[in-house]
Amino acid sequence: MTSLAAAPPERRVPRWLARHETLLAAVLIVALAILGALNNRFLTLDNLLNQGRLMTEVGLIALPMTFVIITGGIDLSVGSVVGLCAIALGYSWKNLGFPLPAAIAFAIALGAICGFINGFFITRVKVPPLIMTIATLALYRGFAEGISQAHSVRGYPEWFYFMGQGELFGVPTQLWLLVAAIVIAGVALDRTTFGRSLYAIGANETAARFSGLPVDRIKLVVYTLSGLMAGVSAYVLVSRVTTTRSDMGIGYELDVIAAVVLGGTSIFGGSGTIWGTVVGLVMIQLLKDGLALTGVKGDATIVVIGTVLIASTLLASSLQKRRDVGG
Amino acid sequence: MMKLLMTTVAAAALALTFGASGARAGDKWDGADDLPTNPLACDSSGGGTVAAKPYDGGQPTGAPDKAGKEITLVDVPKLIGIGYFNATSKGMQDAAKELGNVKVTTDGPTEAKIDEQIKFIDNYVTRGVDGVLFAANDPVAIAPVLKKALSKGIHVVGYDANSTPDARQWFVNQAEFNGIGKALIDSLAKEIGEDKGFAIVTSTFTTPNQARWIAEMSAYAARCHPKLKWLETVEAQEDNVLSFNQATTLINKYGDKLAGLVGMTSVATPASAEAVTKAKLCGKVAVVGLATPNAMKPYVNADCVKSVVLWNPVDLGYAATYVVRAVVDGKLKPGDTSVEAGKLGKLTVVNGSEILLGAPFIFTKANVKDFDF
Repeated sequence: MTSLAAAPPERRVPRWLARHETLLAAVLIVALAILGALNNRFLTLDNLLNQGRLMTEVGLIALPMTFVIITGGIDLSVGSVVGLCAIALGYSWKNLGFPLPAAIAFAIALGAICGFINGFFITRVKVPPLIMTIATLALYRGFAEGISQAHSVRGYPEWFYFMGQGELFGVPTQLWLLVAAIVIAGVALDRTTFGRSLYAIGANETAARFSGLPVDRIKLVVYTLSGLMAGVSAYVLVSRVTTTRSDMGIGYELDVIAAVVLGGTSIFGGSGTIWGTVVGLVMIQLLKDGLALTGVKGDATIVVIGTVLIASTLLASSLQKRRDVGG
Repeated sequence: MMKLLMTTVAAAALALTFGASGARAGDKWDGADDLPTNPLACDSSGGGTVAAKPYDGGQPTGAPDKAGKEITLVDVPKLIGIGYFNATSKGMQDAAKELGNVKVTTDGPTEAKIDEQIKFIDNYVTRGVDGVLFAANDPVAIAPVLKKALSKGIHVVGYDANSTPDARQWFVNQAEFNGIGKALIDSLAKEIGEDKGFAIVTSTFTTPNQARWIAEMSAYAARCHPKLKWLETVEAQEDNVLSFNQATTLINKYGDKLAGLVGMTSVATPASAEAVTKAKLCGKVAVVGLATPNAMKPYVNADCVKSVVLWNPVDLGYAATYVVRAVVDGKLKPGDTSVEAGKLGKLTVVNGSEILLGAPFIFTKANVKDFDF
């Protein structure tokens, strides 16, 4: 029943949950085979590693976003947090005179604070996540533009570019970071009480609360994590493009959510896996790349991605119906 | 208790918003790219001196010798789908047809975002093309991927918006930055008078060419039209609707103090003219700027806009293609002072590795009907 692509050790989660990811992984392999046949540069190690490099920024944010969506919430402000942290990195280094490692730490901490603010208002003041994060989407972007005053910061020292453009044992540096993050996130979701609680909160928040789970504290943690990873993603992004701009990260939230939803996480909460998110992420990135290499122009690629997303959502909901009927 | 908390939070948020926006209102942003400006003399005809700098462009490593053979090029402009880059693309197709051994495809993002542009160039580098033509959304951010192209033996030539010099071999500049600055400010001052107020609608504050033009405009205005009042510069991202909204906001905000709008992109100028027309201020608020003649024909014919400054983008694309062909054929080497560009004749090399198209061209009611792009 299991395909070679979806074989995590012993899942205690019901079989039906594994099915969506397996199907998706199978579709991914078929798509890769077709695209590889159409263009002989697609399946080269060089190209695949390069794609890994490019998908890290969205990938890092997709991991905590999976947590957030499993709890039934959403975080639309991640793109703006990336922009704000990128600006904070450049601004604190150039204008405030922080030593560069301190500036990087400051930017990541700022991301965590932005996420914390989101979580605070969502849990204490009970603002719905959609509304709160739409508001902070605008707020954080406004701060980024206000602080930067449109000046970009350039001229970082050589060692700074190692994260975004360097390689470790032949593999892009940020890809190591992404893989480590995936492993940690996967283990946390699958094997810890924390992860188990996320599913409980997403499935039925009231029941979870009355079962004694610290619902508010857990939600606060996931939103803070979301902001934190956005901060790390900002560092990787600035390192890769060697400059900071206040319009960085615009549109990231949509790419992240597309990857998470494509991977089988239900937007209503209660189900989803890190593995699914990874497959979704890889699928979108490699599809875009493979299509572009085959000669399909930019606009047509977006059409294909949209179609794939719709098809996957239909698939997921038909599996959901089967589950509900089957008990 | 909760009500009190919510009210305090709402009040604090409002205060913060007003505070943040107040800090930026009326900011006279002036180019912000920290490069030196070189304003022209107030009465010269806009030629400027040709700077003799040593060649400072990058070079490809291990480029295959394709002199005289067919080459495939890809053109990645800032964005696709606007008249200006449709025109440059047409110029490239014209040049390709004339040369006979060049194939050019234009592909790019649908929004002027540097991240997307980098991904497009990256994909084409992996696919393997002989040359990349580009108009950069950000000069520094685009450099790593262009250097990667050079390291894979791919020729890189820029046009319209430059990157850092060592990331490309040549850059075809449509006109000197200070020439454009002078043409715009002179047109503006002639229409609105020497001591009125004006505002600028640009793409983004970090786009290389717009940033340079605004810096030069600021220096030239300070030198030759010191009484002109510069009210504000706003961003409009090369988006039609946003440009229109920004222009309307400026009109409403400054009322009588605003006598002129300057559009820095081929999208902002027609949108500003539309905003002025809709506000029924034609003739009272002057619109000056860079735009394609087709987009401005209705406004020029209605006497809403007196003059449009541009160069010929078709020629720009045409020249860029000829430059790449000359580089591949070995006819244009570092240190050369001019290059043959088909029907455009000889183009001069300035500033080390820039190729100058010529002086800016002014479209008016008299000649706008002769152009179709």
